Amino acid sequence: MNTFRLKARGAYPGIAEGPAVVCPDSIAGNSGALGDTDGVIYEKGNVNYGVCINDAILVVPCAKGSNGFSAHFKGAQIAGVKPAGWISTRMDARLGVAVASMGIPAVTDFADDEDPVVKIKTGDWIKIDGATGEVLITFKY
Amino acid sequence: MVHLTDYEKQMLDGQMGKFKQKAMQFIVRYAEVLGAEELCQISRATLFIGAQHYLDCYAEDTDYKKIFSEFYLCSDEIVELGEVSECCKTQTCAACCDLREYERTHLSREFHERNRKYLEATKEMGVKIVDSCTPYYVGWVPMMGEHFVTTESSNVVISNTIFGACGNSDGVEAAVCAAITGRIPKWGMHIKENRYATCVFTLDFEVETQMEWDLLGFTLGRLLPKHEVPVIVNGLKNAEINRMRQLCASLSVTSAAEICHIVGLTPEAQTLDMALGGKKPRHQIHVTEKDMEESLSILCDKGSSKVDFVSIGCPHISLDEIREIALYVKGKKLPEGVELQIWTDYATKEMAAVNGYTKLIEDTGAALLTGSCPIVMREDSHRHATAMVMFGAKQAFGIRHQTKVPVYYGEVFSCIDAAYNGRWEEG
Repeated sequence: MNTFRLKARGAYPGIAEGPAVVCPDSIAGNSGALGDTDGVIYEKGNVNYGVCINDAILVVPCAKGSNGFSAHFKGAQIAGVKPAGWISTRMDARLGVAVASMGIPAVTDFADDEDPVVKIKTGDWIKIDGATGEVLITFKY
Repeated sequence: MVHLTDYEKQMLDGQMGKFKQKAMQFIVRYAEVLGAEELCQISRATLFIGAQHYLDCYAEDTDYKKIFSEFYLCSDEIVELGEVSECCKTQTCAACCDLREYERTHLSREFHERNRKYLEATKEMGVKIVDSCTPYYVGWVPMMGEHFVTTESSNVVISNTIFGACGNSDGVEAAVCAAITGRIPKWGMHIKENRYATCVFTLDFEVETQMEWDLLGFTLGRLLPKHEVPVIVNGLKNAEINRMRQLCASLSVTSAAEICHIVGLTPEAQTLDMALGGKKPRHQIHVTEKDMEESLSILCDKGSSKVDFVSIGCPHISLDEIREIALYVKGKKLPEGVELQIWTDYATKEMAAVNGYTKLIEDTGAALLTGSCPIVMREDSHRHATAMVMFGAKQAFGIRHQTKVPVYYGEVFSCIDAAYNGRWEEG
Protein backbone atom coordinates (compact mmCIF):
# COMPACT_ATOMS: atom_id res chain seq x y z
CA MET A 1 0.00 0.00 0.00
CA ASN A 2 1.51 3.34 -1.07
CA THR A 3 1.05 5.72 1.84
CA PHE A 4 2.40 9.08 2.87
CA ARG A 5 2.15 11.18 6.04
CA LEU A 6 1.83 14.90 6.57
CA LYS A 7 1.79 16.77 9.84
CA ALA A 8 0.35 20.21 10.51
CA ARG A 9 -1.81 21.96 13.10
CA GLY A 10 -4.91 20.23 14.34
CA ALA A 11 -7.66 22.82 14.16
CA TYR A 12 -10.65 20.79 15.31
CA PRO A 13 -10.33 17.51 17.17
CA GLY A 14 -11.61 14.16 15.98
CA ILE A 15 -10.61 11.43 13.58
CA ALA A 16 -12.11 11.28 10.13
CA GLU A 17 -11.42 9.39 6.94
CA GLY A 18 -12.71 9.35 3.43
CA PRO A 19 -11.82 9.99 -0.21
CA ALA A 20 -10.09 13.30 -0.95
CA VAL A 21 -11.83 15.95 -3.01
CA VAL A 22 -9.07 18.40 -3.87
CA CYS A 23 -10.13 21.93 -4.88
CA PRO A 24 -6.91 23.81 -5.76
CA ASP A 25 -8.88 27.04 -6.21
CA SER A 26 -11.12 26.31 -3.22
CA ILE A 27 -14.91 26.52 -3.38
CA ALA A 28 -16.68 29.86 -3.68
CA GLY A 29 -18.77 30.92 -0.71
CA ASN A 30 -21.25 32.71 -2.95
CA SER A 31 -24.93 31.73 -2.99
CA GLY A 32 -25.49 28.83 -5.34
CA ALA A 33 -21.85 27.75 -5.60
CA LEU A 34 -22.57 24.91 -3.18
CA GLY A 35 -26.05 23.42 -3.16
CA ASP A 36 -27.62 24.48 0.13
CA THR A 37 -29.46 21.21 0.62
CA ASP A 38 -27.66 18.68 -1.63
CA GLY A 39 -24.02 19.66 -0.99
CA VAL A 40 -23.16 19.54 -4.68
CA ILE A 41 -20.52 21.94 -6.04
CA TYR A 42 -22.22 24.11 -8.69
CA GLU A 43 -19.48 26.74 -8.95
CA LYS A 44 -18.84 27.36 -12.61
CA GLY A 45 -15.23 26.57 -13.48
CA ASN A 46 -14.58 24.53 -10.33
CA VAL A 47 -12.58 21.38 -11.20
CA ASN A 48 -15.04 19.43 -9.06
CA TYR A 49 -18.21 20.86 -10.59
CA GLY A 50 -21.08 18.46 -9.98
CA VAL A 51 -19.27 16.59 -7.17
CA CYS A 52 -21.08 16.07 -3.86
CA ILE A 53 -19.02 16.86 -0.78
CA ASN A 54 -20.74 14.25 1.38
CA ASP A 55 -18.34 12.08 3.42
CA ALA A 56 -15.31 13.45 1.55
CA ILE A 57 -12.17 14.93 3.04
CA LEU A 58 -12.20 18.38 1.44
CA VAL A 59 -8.72 19.59 0.57
CA VAL A 60 -8.48 23.34 -0.12
CA PRO A 61 -5.81 26.03 0.03
CA CYS A 62 -8.21 28.32 1.91
CA ALA A 63 -11.78 29.51 1.51
CA LYS A 64 -12.78 32.23 -0.97
CA GLY A 65 -15.65 34.38 -2.19
CA SER A 66 -18.62 35.39 -0.10
CA ASN A 67 -18.54 35.48 3.67
CA GLY A 68 -21.58 33.19 3.38
CA PHE A 69 -19.08 30.34 2.84
CA SER A 70 -19.72 28.72 6.22
CA ALA A 71 -23.49 29.18 6.08
CA HIS A 72 -23.88 27.22 2.86
CA PHE A 73 -21.84 24.31 4.24
CA LYS A 74 -23.75 24.49 7.53
CA GLY A 75 -27.10 24.46 5.74
CA ALA A 76 -26.06 21.40 3.77
CA GLN A 77 -24.92 19.73 7.01
CA ILE A 78 -28.31 20.28 8.64
CA ALA A 79 -29.89 18.88 5.47
CA GLY A 80 -27.79 15.75 6.01
CA VAL A 81 -24.84 16.32 3.69
CA LYS A 82 -21.38 17.18 5.03
CA PRO A 83 -17.72 16.51 4.45
CA ALA A 84 -16.06 14.04 6.78
CA GLY A 85 -13.18 16.39 7.41
CA TRP A 86 -11.25 19.44 6.24
CA ILE A 87 -7.67 19.87 5.17
CA SER A 88 -6.61 23.44 4.39
CA THR A 89 -3.15 24.68 3.47
CA ARG A 90 -3.73 27.66 5.71
CA MET A 91 -6.56 28.69 7.97
CA ASP A 92 -8.62 31.79 7.22
CA ALA A 93 -11.68 33.40 8.74
CA ARG A 94 -14.25 32.06 6.27
CA LEU A 95 -13.06 28.50 6.69
CA GLY A 96 -12.48 28.89 10.42
CA VAL A 97 -16.13 29.71 10.95
CA ALA A 98 -17.19 26.69 8.88
CA VAL A 99 -14.93 24.39 10.89
CA ALA A 100 -16.05 25.76 14.25
CA SER A 101 -19.70 25.81 13.26
CA MET A 102 -19.88 22.33 11.75
CA GLY A 103 -17.70 20.65 14.34
CA ILE A 104 -15.87 18.51 11.81
CA PRO A 105 -12.21 17.40 12.23
CA ALA A 106 -9.79 19.73 10.53
CA VAL A 107 -6.04 20.01 9.94
CA THR A 108 -4.43 23.21 8.71
CA ASP A 109 -1.37 25.48 8.56
CA PHE A 110 1.00 23.17 6.65
CA ALA A 111 4.67 23.91 6.05
CA ASP A 112 5.42 25.57 2.70
CA ASP A 113 6.96 22.38 1.26
CA GLU A 114 4.05 20.20 2.41
CA ASP A 115 1.13 21.88 0.66
CA PRO A 116 -1.69 19.31 0.79
CA VAL A 117 -3.29 20.73 -2.35
CA VAL A 118 -0.13 19.65 -4.19
CA LYS A 119 0.58 16.42 -2.29
CA ILE A 120 -2.94 14.98 -2.32
CA LYS A 121 -4.96 14.02 -5.40
CA THR A 122 -8.70 13.64 -5.68
CA GLY A 123 -9.62 10.04 -4.91
CA ASP A 124 -6.72 9.39 -2.51
CA TRP A 125 -7.94 7.86 0.74
CA ILE A 126 -7.27 10.23 3.62
CA LYS A 127 -7.31 9.77 7.36
CA ILE A 128 -6.91 12.83 9.57
CA ASP A 129 -6.51 13.35 13.28
CA GLY A 130 -7.79 16.82 14.10
CA ALA A 131 -6.23 16.73 17.56
CA THR A 132 -2.65 15.91 16.56
CA GLY A 133 -2.67 17.35 13.04
CA GLU A 134 -1.60 14.03 11.49
CA VAL A 135 -2.69 13.20 7.95
CA LEU A 136 -2.32 9.73 6.45
CA ILE A 137 -2.65 9.56 2.68
CA THR A 138 -3.16 6.31 0.80
CA PHE A 139 -2.56 7.04 -2.84
CA LYS A 140 -5.21 5.98 -5.27
CA TYR A 141 -2.60 5.17 -7.90
CA MET B 1 -5.57 28.10 24.71
CA VAL B 2 -7.42 31.40 24.35
CA HIS B 3 -6.77 33.93 27.10
CA LEU B 4 -10.04 35.48 28.31
CA THR B 5 -10.60 38.57 30.44
CA ASP B 6 -12.66 38.28 33.60
CA TYR B 7 -15.61 39.83 31.79
CA GLU B 8 -15.34 37.27 28.99
CA LYS B 9 -15.01 34.42 31.50
CA GLN B 10 -18.18 35.57 33.25
CA MET B 11 -20.02 35.53 29.94
CA LEU B 12 -18.65 32.08 29.16
CA ASP B 13 -19.66 30.84 32.62
CA GLY B 14 -23.24 31.89 31.99
CA GLN B 15 -23.35 34.79 34.44
CA MET B 16 -24.84 37.00 31.71
CA GLY B 17 -27.45 34.50 30.62
CA LYS B 18 -27.61 31.48 28.38
CA PHE B 19 -27.98 33.48 25.15
CA LYS B 20 -24.65 35.23 25.62
CA GLN B 21 -23.07 32.09 27.05
CA LYS B 22 -23.84 30.07 23.92
CA ALA B 23 -22.58 32.86 21.69
CA MET B 24 -19.37 33.14 23.71
CA GLN B 25 -18.86 29.37 23.57
CA PHE B 26 -18.89 29.63 19.80
CA ILE B 27 -16.52 32.61 19.73
CA VAL B 28 -14.03 30.71 21.92
CA ARG B 29 -14.33 27.62 19.72
CA TYR B 30 -13.78 29.77 16.64
CA ALA B 31 -10.72 31.37 18.27
CA GLU B 32 -9.27 27.92 18.96
CA VAL B 33 -9.80 26.86 15.34
CA LEU B 34 -8.01 29.97 14.14
CA GLY B 35 -5.22 29.63 16.70
CA ALA B 36 -6.01 33.04 18.21
CA GLU B 37 -4.58 33.86 21.62
CA GLU B 38 -7.15 36.40 22.77
CA LEU B 39 -10.34 38.21 21.78
CA CYS B 40 -10.91 41.84 20.86
CA GLN B 41 -13.91 44.10 21.34
CA ILE B 42 -15.98 44.95 18.30
CA SER B 43 -18.21 47.97 17.96
CA ARG B 44 -19.93 47.43 14.59
CA ALA B 45 -21.59 44.50 12.85
CA THR B 46 -23.66 43.73 9.78
CA LEU B 47 -25.48 40.39 9.65
CA PHE B 48 -26.63 38.37 6.63
CA ILE B 49 -29.76 37.02 8.29
CA GLY B 50 -33.50 36.72 7.65
CA ALA B 51 -35.00 33.89 5.59
CA GLN B 52 -31.76 33.44 3.65
CA HIS B 53 -31.55 30.41 1.42
CA TYR B 54 -28.91 28.74 3.52
CA LEU B 55 -31.87 28.10 5.86
CA ASP B 56 -33.67 26.07 3.18
CA CYS B 57 -32.63 23.02 5.21
CA TYR B 58 -35.41 23.87 7.68
CA ALA B 59 -39.11 23.19 7.17
CA GLU B 60 -41.10 26.41 6.76
CA ASP B 61 -42.91 25.98 10.08
CA THR B 62 -39.72 25.50 12.12
CA ASP B 63 -39.61 27.67 15.23
CA TYR B 64 -37.14 30.52 14.71
CA LYS B 65 -35.71 29.99 18.20
CA LYS B 66 -34.67 26.50 17.13
CA ILE B 67 -33.18 27.83 13.90
CA PHE B 68 -31.32 30.61 15.67
CA SER B 69 -30.02 28.34 18.42
CA GLU B 70 -28.90 25.56 16.12
CA PHE B 71 -27.65 27.52 13.13
CA TYR B 72 -26.19 30.74 14.54
CA LEU B 73 -25.35 29.79 18.13
CA CYS B 74 -24.34 26.26 17.11
CA SER B 75 -26.23 24.96 20.13
CA ASP B 76 -28.20 21.72 20.40
CA GLU B 77 -30.12 23.32 23.23
CA ILE B 78 -32.86 25.76 22.19
CA VAL B 79 -32.38 29.01 24.08
CA GLU B 80 -34.51 32.12 24.57
CA LEU B 81 -33.37 34.86 22.25
CA GLY B 82 -31.78 37.86 23.96
CA GLU B 83 -30.20 41.05 22.71
CA VAL B 84 -27.01 41.91 20.89
CA SER B 85 -24.25 43.67 22.79
CA GLU B 86 -24.95 47.29 23.72
CA CYS B 87 -21.41 48.08 22.64
CA CYS B 88 -21.97 46.81 19.09
CA LYS B 89 -23.96 48.80 16.53
CA THR B 90 -25.61 46.01 14.60
CA GLN B 91 -27.68 46.01 11.43
CA THR B 92 -28.76 43.62 8.71
CA CYS B 93 -26.72 42.97 5.59
CA ALA B 94 -28.22 42.18 2.16
CA ALA B 95 -31.60 40.49 2.47
CA CYS B 96 -33.19 37.59 0.62
CA CYS B 97 -35.86 39.88 -0.85
CA ASP B 98 -37.10 43.45 -1.08
CA LEU B 99 -39.19 44.11 2.03
CA ARG B 100 -42.10 45.37 -0.08
CA GLU B 101 -41.71 44.42 -3.74
CA TYR B 102 -41.72 40.63 -3.55
CA GLU B 103 -44.25 40.17 -6.38
CA ARG B 104 -42.22 42.32 -8.74
CA THR B 105 -39.24 40.05 -8.16
CA HIS B 106 -41.26 36.85 -8.70
CA LEU B 107 -41.08 35.67 -5.09
CA SER B 108 -43.99 34.20 -3.18
CA ARG B 109 -45.97 35.92 -0.47
CA GLU B 110 -45.14 32.99 1.83
CA PHE B 111 -41.40 33.49 1.39
CA HIS B 112 -41.78 37.23 1.89
CA GLU B 113 -43.78 36.68 5.11
CA ARG B 114 -41.24 34.18 6.40
CA ASN B 115 -38.51 36.75 5.92
CA ARG B 116 -40.55 39.45 7.67
CA LYS B 117 -41.17 37.10 10.60
CA TYR B 118 -37.46 36.32 10.99
CA LEU B 119 -36.53 39.99 10.70
CA GLU B 120 -39.10 40.96 13.34
CA ALA B 121 -37.43 38.52 15.73
CA THR B 122 -34.09 40.02 14.73
CA LYS B 123 -35.32 43.54 15.50
CA GLU B 124 -36.29 42.41 18.99
CA MET B 125 -32.64 41.53 19.54
CA GLY B 126 -31.62 45.11 18.85
CA VAL B 127 -30.50 44.55 15.26
CA LYS B 128 -31.53 47.38 12.94
CA ILE B 129 -33.16 46.41 9.65
CA VAL B 130 -31.04 48.12 7.00
CA ASP B 131 -30.65 45.37 4.39
CA SER B 132 -27.65 46.89 2.67
CA CYS B 133 -24.42 45.43 1.32
CA THR B 134 -23.00 48.97 1.09
CA PRO B 135 -23.69 50.10 4.67
CA TYR B 136 -21.11 52.90 4.47
CA TYR B 137 -23.57 54.89 2.32
CA VAL B 138 -25.99 55.09 5.23
CA GLY B 139 -23.74 55.74 8.18
CA TRP B 140 -22.09 52.41 9.01
CA VAL B 141 -18.54 53.78 8.84
CA PRO B 142 -15.92 52.28 11.16
CA MET B 143 -13.02 54.52 12.16
CA MET B 144 -9.37 53.69 11.65
CA GLY B 145 -8.38 50.94 14.08
CA GLU B 146 -11.99 50.19 15.02
CA HIS B 147 -12.77 46.46 15.14
CA PHE B 148 -15.83 45.28 13.23
CA VAL B 149 -17.54 42.21 11.83
CA THR B 150 -19.51 42.14 8.59
CA THR B 151 -20.98 39.34 6.56
CA GLU B 152 -20.55 41.29 3.32
CA SER B 153 -17.23 40.32 1.73
CA SER B 154 -16.89 43.60 -0.20
CA ASN B 155 -17.52 45.55 2.98
CA VAL B 156 -14.66 43.69 4.66
CA VAL B 157 -12.28 44.89 1.95
CA ILE B 158 -13.72 48.43 1.89
CA SER B 159 -13.61 48.83 5.66
CA ASN B 160 -10.06 47.49 6.01
CA THR B 161 -8.75 49.27 2.93
CA ILE B 162 -10.38 52.71 2.92
CA PHE B 163 -11.33 53.25 6.54
CA GLY B 164 -8.32 51.49 8.05
CA ALA B 165 -10.70 49.61 10.33
CA CYS B 166 -10.01 46.00 11.34
CA GLY B 167 -12.09 43.00 10.40
CA ASN B 168 -11.93 39.52 8.87
CA SER B 169 -14.26 37.71 6.49
CA ASP B 170 -15.98 35.99 9.36
CA GLY B 171 -18.94 33.89 8.35
CA VAL B 172 -22.52 34.45 9.42
CA GLU B 173 -22.41 32.33 12.58
CA ALA B 174 -19.34 34.15 13.90
CA ALA B 175 -20.73 37.57 13.01
CA VAL B 176 -23.97 36.85 14.87
CA CYS B 177 -22.15 35.53 17.94
CA ALA B 178 -19.73 38.47 17.81
CA ALA B 179 -22.63 40.94 17.75
CA ILE B 180 -24.16 39.20 20.80
CA THR B 181 -20.94 39.04 22.81
CA GLY B 182 -19.18 42.13 21.48
CA ARG B 183 -16.10 39.95 20.94
CA ILE B 184 -14.26 38.33 18.02
CA PRO B 185 -10.92 36.48 17.93
CA LYS B 186 -7.99 38.89 17.73
CA TRP B 187 -6.48 37.33 14.66
CA GLY B 188 -5.81 38.10 10.99
CA MET B 189 -6.73 41.66 10.03
CA HIS B 190 -7.22 42.60 13.69
CA ILE B 191 -3.43 42.51 14.10
CA LYS B 192 -1.31 45.16 12.37
CA GLU B 193 1.48 42.74 11.42
CA ASN B 194 -0.91 40.77 9.22
CA ARG B 195 -2.11 43.82 7.32
CA TYR B 196 1.14 44.59 5.50
CA ALA B 197 1.21 43.92 1.78
CA THR B 198 3.09 40.88 0.52
CA CYS B 199 2.19 40.98 -3.17
CA VAL B 200 2.87 44.03 -5.36
CA PHE B 201 0.69 44.52 -8.42
CA THR B 202 1.93 46.77 -11.22
CA LEU B 203 -0.48 47.54 -14.04
CA ASP B 204 0.57 47.75 -17.69
CA PHE B 205 -2.50 49.89 -18.38
CA GLU B 206 -4.83 52.38 -16.70
CA VAL B 207 -8.32 51.81 -15.41
CA GLU B 208 -10.76 54.67 -15.40
CA THR B 209 -14.40 53.65 -15.74
CA GLN B 210 -16.41 51.88 -13.09
CA MET B 211 -16.43 48.69 -15.15
CA GLU B 212 -12.66 48.81 -15.57
CA TRP B 213 -12.17 49.14 -11.81
CA ASP B 214 -14.64 46.30 -11.34
CA LEU B 215 -12.87 44.10 -13.87
CA LEU B 216 -9.51 44.93 -12.30
CA GLY B 217 -10.67 43.67 -8.91
CA PHE B 218 -11.84 40.42 -10.48
CA THR B 219 -8.51 40.08 -12.31
CA LEU B 220 -6.33 40.82 -9.28
CA GLY B 221 -8.27 38.23 -7.29
CA ARG B 222 -7.54 35.64 -9.98
CA LEU B 223 -3.84 36.47 -10.01
CA LEU B 224 -3.29 36.94 -6.28
CA PRO B 225 -1.39 33.99 -4.82
CA LYS B 226 -3.30 32.37 -1.97
CA HIS B 227 -2.84 33.84 1.51
CA GLU B 228 -1.15 37.03 0.28
CA VAL B 229 -2.02 40.70 0.90
CA PRO B 230 -2.14 42.85 -2.26
CA VAL B 231 -0.95 46.37 -2.94
CA ILE B 232 -1.51 48.21 -6.23
CA VAL B 233 1.16 50.72 -7.16
CA ASN B 234 -0.16 52.42 -10.29
CA GLY B 235 -2.78 52.68 -12.99
CA LEU B 236 -5.90 53.76 -11.09
CA LYS B 237 -7.57 56.88 -12.46
CA ASN B 238 -10.59 58.78 -11.12
CA ALA B 239 -10.51 57.12 -7.74
CA GLU B 240 -13.72 57.54 -5.76
CA ILE B 241 -15.84 55.46 -3.42
CA ASN B 242 -18.16 53.95 -6.05
CA ARG B 243 -15.25 52.69 -8.13
CA MET B 244 -13.52 51.39 -5.02
CA ARG B 245 -16.75 49.59 -4.12
CA GLN B 246 -16.64 47.71 -7.42
CA LEU B 247 -12.94 46.87 -7.13
CA CYS B 248 -13.30 45.58 -3.58
CA ALA B 249 -16.43 43.56 -4.38
CA SER B 250 -14.99 41.77 -7.38
CA LEU B 251 -11.62 41.19 -5.67
CA SER B 252 -13.43 39.29 -2.95
CA VAL B 253 -15.20 37.10 -5.51
CA THR B 254 -12.06 35.56 -6.94
CA SER B 255 -9.87 35.61 -3.85
CA ALA B 256 -9.91 35.53 -0.08
CA ALA B 257 -8.35 39.00 0.14
CA GLU B 258 -9.58 41.13 3.03
CA ILE B 259 -7.62 44.30 2.29
CA CYS B 260 -6.19 45.87 -0.87
CA HIS B 261 -3.71 48.68 -0.38
CA ILE B 262 -3.32 51.31 -3.09
CA VAL B 263 -0.16 53.38 -2.92
CA GLY B 264 -0.89 57.06 -2.31
CA LEU B 265 -4.61 56.46 -1.94
CA THR B 266 -5.40 54.26 1.04
CA PRO B 267 -4.42 55.18 4.60
CA GLU B 268 -1.99 52.35 5.29
CA ALA B 269 -0.24 52.77 1.95
CA GLN B 270 0.84 56.38 1.70
CA THR B 271 4.06 54.94 0.31
CA LEU B 272 4.90 51.48 -1.01
CA ASP B 273 7.34 50.99 1.84
CA MET B 274 4.61 51.85 4.34
CA ALA B 275 2.27 49.31 2.75
CA LEU B 276 4.97 46.64 2.87
CA GLY B 277 5.95 47.45 6.45
CA GLY B 278 9.54 47.85 5.35
CA LYS B 279 9.78 44.26 4.16
CA LYS B 280 10.43 42.81 0.72
CA PRO B 281 7.31 41.55 -1.05
CA ARG B 282 6.98 37.81 -1.57
CA HIS B 283 5.45 38.35 -5.03
CA GLN B 284 5.60 41.02 -7.73
CA ILE B 285 3.05 40.65 -10.50
CA HIS B 286 2.64 42.67 -13.68
CA VAL B 287 -0.97 42.77 -14.75
CA THR B 288 -1.54 43.02 -18.49
CA GLU B 289 -4.50 43.92 -20.67
CA LYS B 290 -4.58 40.26 -21.68
CA ASP B 291 -5.30 39.38 -18.05
CA MET B 292 -8.21 41.81 -18.12
CA GLU B 293 -9.48 40.34 -21.40
CA GLU B 294 -9.40 36.86 -19.87
CA SER B 295 -11.51 38.10 -16.98
CA LEU B 296 -13.97 39.68 -19.37
CA SER B 297 -14.28 36.40 -21.25
CA ILE B 298 -15.21 34.69 -17.96
CA LEU B 299 -17.83 37.29 -17.12
CA CYS B 300 -19.42 38.02 -20.50
CA ASP B 301 -20.65 35.33 -22.87
CA LYS B 302 -19.78 35.69 -26.53
CA GLY B 303 -22.16 36.95 -29.19
CA SER B 304 -25.22 39.15 -29.38
CA SER B 305 -28.75 38.18 -28.49
CA LYS B 306 -32.13 39.25 -27.19
CA VAL B 307 -32.13 39.78 -23.44
CA ASP B 308 -35.00 39.99 -20.99
CA PHE B 309 -33.43 40.34 -17.54
CA VAL B 310 -31.05 43.15 -16.61
CA SER B 311 -29.79 43.90 -13.12
CA ILE B 312 -27.69 46.88 -12.02
CA GLY B 313 -26.45 47.48 -8.51
CA CYS B 314 -24.04 44.89 -7.23
CA PRO B 315 -23.08 46.01 -4.69
CA HIS B 316 -26.00 48.36 -3.93
CA ILE B 317 -25.54 51.71 -5.65
CA SER B 318 -25.40 55.26 -4.33
CA LEU B 319 -27.74 58.20 -4.80
CA ASP B 320 -25.31 59.82 -7.25
CA GLU B 321 -25.45 56.80 -9.51
CA ILE B 322 -29.23 56.58 -9.28
CA ARG B 323 -29.40 60.21 -10.39
CA GLU B 324 -27.16 59.51 -13.38
CA ILE B 325 -29.26 56.52 -14.35
CA ALA B 326 -32.53 58.43 -13.89
CA LEU B 327 -31.39 61.24 -16.17
CA TYR B 328 -30.06 58.74 -18.72
CA VAL B 329 -33.27 56.70 -18.98
CA LYS B 330 -35.69 59.64 -18.71
CA GLY B 331 -38.42 59.32 -21.32
CA LYS B 332 -37.42 55.82 -22.49
CA LYS B 333 -39.66 52.76 -22.39
CA LEU B 334 -38.62 49.19 -21.68
CA PRO B 335 -39.77 46.71 -24.33
CA GLU B 336 -42.57 44.34 -23.36
CA GLY B 337 -41.24 41.40 -21.38
CA VAL B 338 -37.90 42.99 -20.44
CA GLU B 339 -37.06 43.61 -16.78
CA LEU B 340 -34.57 46.17 -15.56
CA GLN B 341 -33.83 45.97 -11.83
CA ILE B 342 -31.74 48.64 -10.13
CA TRP B 343 -30.67 47.76 -6.57
CA THR B 344 -29.98 50.10 -3.67
CA ASP B 345 -30.89 50.38 0.03
CA TYR B 346 -34.07 51.76 1.63
CA ALA B 347 -32.61 55.07 2.80
CA THR B 348 -31.12 55.81 -0.60
CA LYS B 349 -34.37 54.87 -2.35
CA GLU B 350 -36.23 57.28 -0.10
CA MET B 351 -33.81 60.03 -1.09
CA ALA B 352 -34.20 59.02 -4.73
CA ALA B 353 -37.97 59.42 -4.38
CA VAL B 354 -37.64 62.86 -2.75
CA ASN B 355 -35.42 63.95 -5.63
CA GLY B 356 -37.73 62.60 -8.31
CA TYR B 357 -35.25 59.97 -9.56
CA THR B 358 -37.42 57.01 -8.66
CA LYS B 359 -40.28 58.33 -10.78
CA LEU B 360 -38.03 58.96 -13.78
CA ILE B 361 -36.74 55.39 -13.57
CA GLU B 362 -40.03 53.68 -12.85
CA ASP B 363 -41.95 55.62 -15.53
CA THR B 364 -39.83 53.74 -18.06
CA GLY B 365 -40.98 50.38 -16.68
CA ALA B 366 -37.78 49.72 -14.72
CA ALA B 367 -37.77 48.92 -10.99
CA LEU B 368 -35.75 50.65 -8.29
CA LEU B 369 -35.50 47.90 -5.69
CA THR B 370 -34.03 47.63 -2.25
CA GLY B 371 -32.06 45.39 0.03
CA SER B 372 -31.34 42.34 -2.12
CA CYS B 373 -30.16 41.20 -5.58
CA PRO B 374 -30.83 38.29 -7.96
CA ILE B 375 -28.01 36.13 -6.56
CA VAL B 376 -29.27 36.36 -3.01
CA MET B 377 -32.94 36.01 -4.02
CA ARG B 378 -31.85 32.86 -5.87
CA GLU B 379 -33.39 30.98 -8.78
CA ASP B 380 -37.06 31.76 -8.11
CA SER B 381 -36.38 35.38 -8.96
CA HIS B 382 -34.76 34.78 -12.34
CA ARG B 383 -35.73 31.28 -13.49
CA HIS B 384 -37.93 32.77 -16.22
CA ALA B 385 -35.08 34.73 -17.83
CA THR B 386 -33.84 33.63 -21.25
CA ALA B 387 -30.76 35.87 -21.34
CA MET B 388 -29.34 38.17 -18.68
CA VAL B 389 -27.19 41.27 -18.42
CA MET B 390 -25.54 41.88 -15.05
CA PHE B 391 -23.47 44.61 -13.40
CA GLY B 392 -21.06 44.17 -11.60
CA ALA B 393 -18.68 41.32 -11.86
CA LYS B 394 -19.81 39.78 -8.57
CA GLN B 395 -23.33 39.43 -9.95
CA ALA B 396 -22.26 38.45 -13.48
CA PHE B 397 -20.05 35.68 -12.09
CA GLY B 398 -22.20 34.54 -9.19
CA ILE B 399 -25.41 34.21 -11.20
CA ARG B 400 -23.68 31.59 -13.36
CA HIS B 401 -23.84 29.17 -10.43
CA GLN B 402 -27.62 29.45 -10.62
CA THR B 403 -28.46 29.58 -14.32
CA LYS B 404 -27.56 28.08 -17.68
CA VAL B 405 -28.80 30.97 -19.84
CA PRO B 406 -26.37 33.43 -21.46
CA VAL B 407 -25.03 36.14 -19.14
CA TYR B 408 -23.56 39.38 -20.45
CA TYR B 409 -21.53 42.00 -18.63
CA GLY B 410 -20.19 45.40 -19.59
CA GLU B 411 -20.13 49.11 -18.80
CA VAL B 412 -23.10 50.18 -16.68
CA PHE B 413 -24.73 52.21 -19.43
CA SER B 414 -24.14 49.47 -22.01
CA CYS B 415 -26.07 47.17 -19.69
CA ILE B 416 -28.84 49.74 -19.39
CA ASP B 417 -28.91 50.21 -23.18
CA ALA B 418 -29.32 46.46 -23.52
CA ALA B 419 -32.43 46.61 -21.37
CA TYR B 420 -34.11 49.37 -23.39
CA ASN B 421 -33.09 47.77 -26.69
CA GLY B 422 -34.09 44.32 -25.46
CA ARG B 423 -30.81 43.15 -26.93
CA TRP B 424 -27.14 42.75 -26.01
CA GLU B 425 -24.73 43.71 -28.78
CA GLU B 426 -21.25 42.21 -28.60
CA GLY B 427 -18.29 44.57 -28.54
